[in-house]
Amino acid sequence: MDRDAIREKSLARYKQERDWFALLHEATKLLPGEEGRLQEKLLTILLDSKETVVDCVENEKPFIAGYFCNAPELFHAMDLPWYMLMETPFLAASAPYLLSDIEGAENMGIGTDLCTAIRLPIYYIENGLMPVPTAVLGLLYPCDGAPMLHQVLEHNKAWKDVPIYSCDPPYTSDERAVEYFADELRRMADFLQKHTGKTLDMKKLVEVCEESNRSYALWQEYNELRRNVPCPHGWGLGGAQAFAISQCFVAGDPRCTDWFRQLYKCGELKIREGKGASETEGWKERIRLFWFDIMPYGWIFELMPWLENEWGAVIVMDMFSNFPYTLIDTSSEKTIFHGLAKRNLLDAPMIRQARGTAENFSNDIRRIVKDYKIDCVIWPGHMGHKDGAATTGIMRETCRELAVPFLHIGLDLFDRRYTSPDEVRDKVSEYFRGMGLG
Amino acid sequence: METDIKSAAFQKFVEATGSIMNPEVQAWKDQGRGVVGFFCSTVPEELFTAAGLLPFRMRGTGSTSTELSDAYFSPINCSFPRHTFNQALRGEYDFLDGLVCINSCDHVRRIYDNWIRALETPFVQVMSLPRKVGEPQIDWYYDELNILRGQLEEHFGVQLTDQRIGEAIALQNQVRGLQKQLYLLRKADKPPITGAETLAVMVAGTAMPKQRYKDLLRELLGELSEKRGSRDYRARLMILGGELDDPAYLEIIEKQGGLVVTDSSCFGSRLMWRPVDEAEPDPIRALARYYVRDRPSCPRMYGDQPQRIAFTREMAREFRVDGIIGERLLFCDQWVVENYMTDLDLKEDEIPFMALDREYVLSGEGQLRTRVQAFLETLEARGN
Repeated sequence: MDRDAIREKSLARYKQERDWFALLHEATKLLPGEEGRLQEKLLTILLDSKETVVDCVENEKPFIAGYFCNAPELFHAMDLPWYMLMETPFLAASAPYLLSDIEGAENMGIGTDLCTAIRLPIYYIENGLMPVPTAVLGLLYPCDGAPMLHQVLEHNKAWKDVPIYSCDPPYTSDERAVEYFADELRRMADFLQKHTGKTLDMKKLVEVCEESNRSYALWQEYNELRRNVPCPHGWGLGGAQAFAISQCFVAGDPRCTDWFRQLYKCGELKIREGKGASETEGWKERIRLFWFDIMPYGWIFELMPWLENEWGAVIVMDMFSNFPYTLIDTSSEKTIFHGLAKRNLLDAPMIRQARGTAENFSNDIRRIVKDYKIDCVIWPGHMGHKDGAATTGIMRETCRELAVPFLHIGLDLFDRRYTSPDEVRDKVSEYFRGMGLG
Repeated sequence: METDIKSAAFQKFVEATGSIMNPEVQAWKDQGRGVVGFFCSTVPEELFTAAGLLPFRMRGTGSTSTELSDAYFSPINCSFPRHTFNQALRGEYDFLDGLVCINSCDHVRRIYDNWIRALETPFVQVMSLPRKVGEPQIDWYYDELNILRGQLEEHFGVQLTDQRIGEAIALQNQVRGLQKQLYLLRKADKPPITGAETLAVMVAGTAMPKQRYKDLLRELLGELSEKRGSRDYRARLMILGGELDDPAYLEIIEKQGGLVVTDSSCFGSRLMWRPVDEAEPDPIRALARYYVRDRPSCPRMYGDQPQRIAFTREMAREFRVDGIIGERLLFCDQWVVENYMTDLDLKEDEIPFMALDREYVLSGEGQLRTRVQAFLETLEARGN
């Protein structure tokens, strides 16, 4: 396939995905109340981001493809549009073509035990379904799959000449590691300037970082609200969107801050009215869950509403809602890069837990169980999270010390055939019953 | 192991490979000397040698189940750390005076976390190996090596001077040179040593004192130089992959008529094909450069795939390989993608390639035989 053919094919797919979100966007308009408006606003921002990338492809403007947790404040300060390499599994997993894409990846002969979130982008790259950008930003953690995805990208003939810079997070988490990673981010900024024709204006970067600080401060305040019993929001609102908007779409943008402000207000109002996650008549929060991973985006609607409706089980906290972030000191270039390095190396989800030694698995469980009055911890055990799988014993032991029940399921967050929703529901029900919960 | 090599040196190697606590390690311990285990070939064993310690590459040899380690790992974890950790929990590694882990892959790196919680080895460290191979990464690893150097000095009460490290590098380079000579013998039409026998020699090199190993290897090379290979074979094969320390796996392939003449693997050529630069005045700098950039890399090293495939092609050409088998431990995200790219690249060169998944402990022998038979038939059909 030549470059022009790939351009057309990938654009057609990208527009298909945009249109899927446009459909969801229309649906959110039917949702009642302020929370409906919040969902609508998020999808408006997402659609805007998609439209911008379409415009870049069609009109040959510079844009980048990147990994998550790559200090997006930097390229937002450079006015560089971007899309995330794992956008489809993470953000568009409800799209109707996901399962046929997974089958397509299987047919390529890449092992089915490889993380589906890595297999899918490999399939898209190898089949010309992902727009070829001006430059690529990779990240070599949180798992072995990430660098392999980037290496496939460099190996692919259509992408071979696209410049790529991949930050290499160290395994340790001390000051030396943060300094090293800050230097990696500096080199990344130089790379972007060299290959996209954009410049990094420090004044703009300060503005972006200060705005992102405002967003994160609101996020932190919102998370305080989630400590309330009953928790004002469940799986449907909070962490996943907070991460997407602050890390993927509009990092350091007033629209992001505005969204968080509204999120906070919604949570506060719910608490004032004494309402919990569900508006259903007679519904009561009976179990407070810590879902210690990403949510099963590929079949989320088959599990999460059931948890709330059947068991009164509310996901009070999950890996992406978790807030260990510290704000960025914008007093100098050095402190900004240091802050960005810390945020993306030590704080951001998955990189925080999966990159280094296992302390953050146990420490996060300890803190969250205590702070959020958690009744039980579920480690979904996504088939791609091999380091987490090797930490199961440590997590179980931590929960035992805290006298909080722990469940390891074993599933694929994107492929419902791996462990079917029925099997997951059975396993969870058995666990709740066995533990006397709900 | 079935072999027609009569050498006493070779028998020592087979003994060292066939168990964890072998007679050479036992003799070393009996002298009151220390042993440090390490995972992955990117840990600079030269530092242990310089400290007067015996570097022992961790394996799960002899394991038959994972009944103890299953409480720590999950079924989607690679069977290598599960079996190896199980052996540790069974007490098979109680002879270790220390252990150095590294972030080699998602499975093996968690051994460190589980080890420090479950076992009481007095000195356990984890190293941070970068994934990129550039100068900033060499600098990072240089610092890591100096940190480890300090930790070894403090814990074991030794002085790791540049001179001692330089001597250890020289010794290890001599070993590498002899191992490479062994490999070069396999270029012959009828090599005097099989792939399985070679693997036994290579694994032994990670499980006995270096000087002793060097002397025995020199002895073996002398004997092999006068030996003519007599086995018939159907094809000359190369093995590509990661952790493979069981010669029995290669024996099965070779019994089907596929003679393994070379490899790019963690216990094979990647250990020794190139030496550490002894001309570099700072031996720690030389080690950092070697382990990050200069040695043939594995897929965990990012951005190096073009060099890896070039190395594979060079080996295939030099050793007149008919086909390549990419073996991979189940659940390895690195090798599954690497094999996918290798397959695409080798198709362009019209070099036949077959990817094989396996468990760490030999199993599914019938299936392995069938796959190899089919591959050999394909190779023969090409030859006709």
